[in-house]
Amino acid sequence: MKRIAFLLVAVGVGVVAYMAPVSGHADEAASLASPIYGVTIPAGYRDWKLIAVKQLLFAGKGEQLRAQVGNDIAIKAFKEGTLPFPDGAIIAAIHWTRVPSEDNNKVLDGPFPGTQSFVIGTRVNVQFMVKDSKKYAATGGWGFADFTDGKPGDKALHETCFPCHTPAKDRDYVFTRYAP
Amino acid sequence: MKRIAFLWGAVATLACVVSFTAPLSGHADAAPVAAPVYGVTIPPGYRDWRLISVARVGAPLNDLRAKLGNDVAIKAYREGKLPFPDGTIIARLAWQQVTSEENNNAIRLRSGTETRLSPEQVKKLLDESFVAGPPTNVQFMVKDSTKYASTGGWGFAQFNDSKPADEATHKTCFSCHEPNKDRDFVFTRYAP
Repeated sequence: MKRIAFLLVAVGVGVVAYMAPVSGHADEAASLASPIYGVTIPAGYRDWKLIAVKQLLFAGKGEQLRAQVGNDIAIKAFKEGTLPFPDGAIIAAIHWTRVPSEDNNKVLDGPFPGTQSFVIGTRVNVQFMVKDSKKYAATGGWGFADFTDGKPGDKALHETCFPCHTPAKDRDYVFTRYAP
Repeated sequence: MKRIAFLWGAVATLACVVSFTAPLSGHADAAPVAAPVYGVTIPPGYRDWRLISVARVGAPLNDLRAKLGNDVAIKAYREGKLPFPDGTIIARLAWQQVTSEENNNAIRLRSGTETRLSPEQVKKLLDESFVAGPPTNVQFMVKDSTKYASTGGWGFAQFNDSKPADEATHKTCFSCHEPNKDRDFVFTRYAP
């Protein structure tokens, strides 16, 4: 029995150790905490399930393509329509620049002449919303964080998070809906 | 031996849990109907696969897209493996782009208080900001180098509301992907 327990532990550790470097972005290593909220980059978030996608034209930043992914608690709440989101829910918003795709356009020109196709360019930043109704009681139960290249944005930036999300108060301050 | 029996019980329980959660997993893709030409069916649980990348196509399609991959696909992408190994499946989801009043309110708020844009500038921002609306269709590429040897090792499928598109549509798949032969006929790159 002892041998089996040992084996399971060894296999578990081995799998985790093997998978860690594969799981994506360099910004996961020893993340710094965001000001005000103290949120760090959750390990493995690039492997989370997709909530939805969007395009946003941001003043001075050009068009961005964005994807929102969620941890298991967030995805379950989205699928079941649970509001407010339970403690432990984390939503990640990954933002990229948007660039035209010549490869795609050439192909689309056959069936859809003149179609403009856009793909992602480079990573801009990643943002997180972390639900902890006690710790973040003053901001609707959400802690916010914005990281560029693994480094958190400054205090002034993080002061804008919650006011910007207040229009979505009826949906627990979350703009994104689950894309079917 | 008893312990093993217990383990099997646990596995059976897990199977029940899985079958219970199945209806939650997104698109109404219950009864699998095979697509013409390639015989590809909708892979169960694909909506829960990991994200490869996102894209947008302008007029006349006006949609937002996400590419998801099964574990074989994601591993190949991250390791830069070409050609993709057998068992790879790539799913392309697409939704109509729609404007979101909630999002637009946030943009207006931010534009007014922070960046002090003119109403014309704000309108331009709103005109180019979209979220995913109703789904349009979902497409799959399934790698099987033996079965699909004559089409670069890929089987193709498109489903509209879980019904496969017609044979004529499926005859366009491979020829459209052919220009990207150097990347194993796959257009999408992994988004960092």
